[in-house]
Amino acid sequence: MIVEMSRVEIIGLKKHLERLIPFLHTSGYLQIDDIREIPDVIIQPFTPPMKMKEEREEIDLLIANINGLVESFSAYHNETDDSGEQTDDLSFYGIKDSVAGITAKVQYFNMRKKTLQDELISHSKYIEILKMISPFMPESSNKSGNATIRALIHSSQTRAMVLLANQLKLLTHGKFEMITVKVGEETNAVVGVFPLELVSQVEGFMKNEKVAKLALPEEYTYLSTDEALQHIEKKVELNHEELENIDESMHRFAIKWLPVLKTWQLICKDKVDEIEAFMQIGETEFAFVIFGWIPKEDVGLLKEALRKEFSRDISLNEIDIPKELQSRIPVKTKNPTVVEPYEHFVKMRATPSYNDIDPSLLVAVFMPIFFGMMAGDVGYGIVMFIIALVMSKKVNKGLMADIIKFLRLGAIWTIVFGVLFGEYFGDLGEKIGIKPLWLSRSEPESIFPLLMMAIAVGVGHIMFGLLIGAWNAFVHKSRNHLLERVGMFVGILGLLFLVGSLSSYLPGGFTTLGWIVFAIGLIAVAVSMGATGIFLGPIEFVGLMGSILSYLRIAALGLASVYLAKVANDLGGMVSSAVVGVLIAVIIHALNIVMAMLSPTIQSLRLQYVEFFRRFYEGGHSPFTPFKKRIHTKTKIVEIG
Amino acid sequence: MEKAIIALAAALSIGTTAIATSMAQRAIGSAGVGALAEKPELVGSIIILVAIPETLVILGFAVSAIMLMN
Repeated sequence: MIVEMSRVEIIGLKKHLERLIPFLHTSGYLQIDDIREIPDVIIQPFTPPMKMKEEREEIDLLIANINGLVESFSAYHNETDDSGEQTDDLSFYGIKDSVAGITAKVQYFNMRKKTLQDELISHSKYIEILKMISPFMPESSNKSGNATIRALIHSSQTRAMVLLANQLKLLTHGKFEMITVKVGEETNAVVGVFPLELVSQVEGFMKNEKVAKLALPEEYTYLSTDEALQHIEKKVELNHEELENIDESMHRFAIKWLPVLKTWQLICKDKVDEIEAFMQIGETEFAFVIFGWIPKEDVGLLKEALRKEFSRDISLNEIDIPKELQSRIPVKTKNPTVVEPYEHFVKMRATPSYNDIDPSLLVAVFMPIFFGMMAGDVGYGIVMFIIALVMSKKVNKGLMADIIKFLRLGAIWTIVFGVLFGEYFGDLGEKIGIKPLWLSRSEPESIFPLLMMAIAVGVGHIMFGLLIGAWNAFVHKSRNHLLERVGMFVGILGLLFLVGSLSSYLPGGFTTLGWIVFAIGLIAVAVSMGATGIFLGPIEFVGLMGSILSYLRIAALGLASVYLAKVANDLGGMVSSAVVGVLIAVIIHALNIVMAMLSPTIQSLRLQYVEFFRRFYEGGHSPFTPFKKRIHTKTKIVEIG
Repeated sequence: MEKAIIALAAALSIGTTAIATSMAQRAIGSAGVGALAEKPELVGSIIILVAIPETLVILGFAVSAIMLMN
């Protein structure tokens, strides 16, 4: 049901504005109509003082910081509940300081982590190379007083390196020893051992010859290969330990701060909303005016609340809704709890228009019935109901929760139609002697009545939609729409007379009557379309027939489901081992149940959206979004640590 | 022989329409997923767009069912 809305203006002196905006925000009754978007308004929009602009910029920055922290913490802790630790007595600056403290800690952890990870990458490379060359190291490398120098060279440079080694031997009076080890496809590691006192000479020589050293970290440079390997492996171990400690600290930090940060996020967003609200109002030199939308039933409540808080300093008046603002009226729907999920399905298509009929209740009635008609199996219905029941305990908000609620009701209708069709896990019921109350879909002779049922459902559903559409057109005084919808309704009626008399369900006289009624309907549709109606009218009518035939999917999906179930039972029965047979049947039935949950949901939704809504539903208004706080604060902020 | 031809015609009726539907849904579906990534609020419209070509296979089903019934 669409709630009746009122347009109100709130007028007062500007000195009360700073108190009024938070008051309206907390009360949450009013949707402020942005004065900058209202046509033909002569009052100028509020000009925010510099301080307010600066505050807005600071809050935006703070929100960006909080978002960054939330993202960092989300990697360590999955906090699904949005409502965090509640905070109170918390100024913007309080939050800012706390966020700065947390940011500093997180930045330190992140930087340290990055350093350790970089070290681990480079150390793993060193370990790899050192392990390769270690077995080939000469004895002399382990003697004290000797230094080791390592270099990586391309294999094409090996010959040049030998020449270089000879020169180094000369330079060191034969005290230079060199080994070459292949460490990659085209890379060789060269290790030189020589007395420690010749380090600068050898280094200088290598520098002159442009040989790039394998640059181990400084502390390992002159250690023997084995010692360097030991030290680096130890360092890697320590790095891993430190990384684990950092992750643990971040995890603890995330558990502690993620809910709080989410609360602060909401507090900051609320503050931004308040600043935004100032921009949406009008001002004169001393006074202000706020235009807004409010459910009619809440006008009295807000008036009373304003009177209590501001006495007579602020006045609220209900004003007329001019014609040019009709399209701006926000839409609030109010339905019983059981219909609410379908309200969301309708809004997924488009929010209803203010003067339209809210189709949520109709969808709530038809969608589960169509689902049941398609799935129609007692066994499947029971399984679906149990699945929906279990899932509803775990998922209680969002689109998924709505689908689960729909599935619960759909499962009940599946059981009902299962009894009518005599289906209990396909034809198992039939095998133990349970007869269908109406028809068995698994029998070939049932196909025709099933198709007829689907078309009859389509005719009924679409004619009902056309009646609602005609009523809507009548209310909106839209002559063409009225003529088109009534014409279609009458045309279908004429066709029903024709089909009825031709198939001898109705007396023969109905044939002529059918033609006449059909012609009247067709002419009405053509007239509603103006000059091109003579061509478009019949095309539109053929489209209408297509829509009715589209309901054949109810029969088609049902048949597919029942035959798959039959296959499951027959295949299971063919196997000699009872256990294997049951297993095969269970697997195929499970697959069929999953398909029976998905496909009929989409198809029944599609029948509402495409075939039914097209006859009457336009939608397109914006939803009612009152200016209200995202969070109400309670307790005090705690120390960072 | 006649029965075989009827069965073949029925199979062709539903088979070709199923292929046509799948080709249309492939194109619409992939574009729809792309659009949803940008604008999740379009989910209702995307469901409609994806489901529209299914009428083809439903009509194919109706034709093949009528063939087999006769």
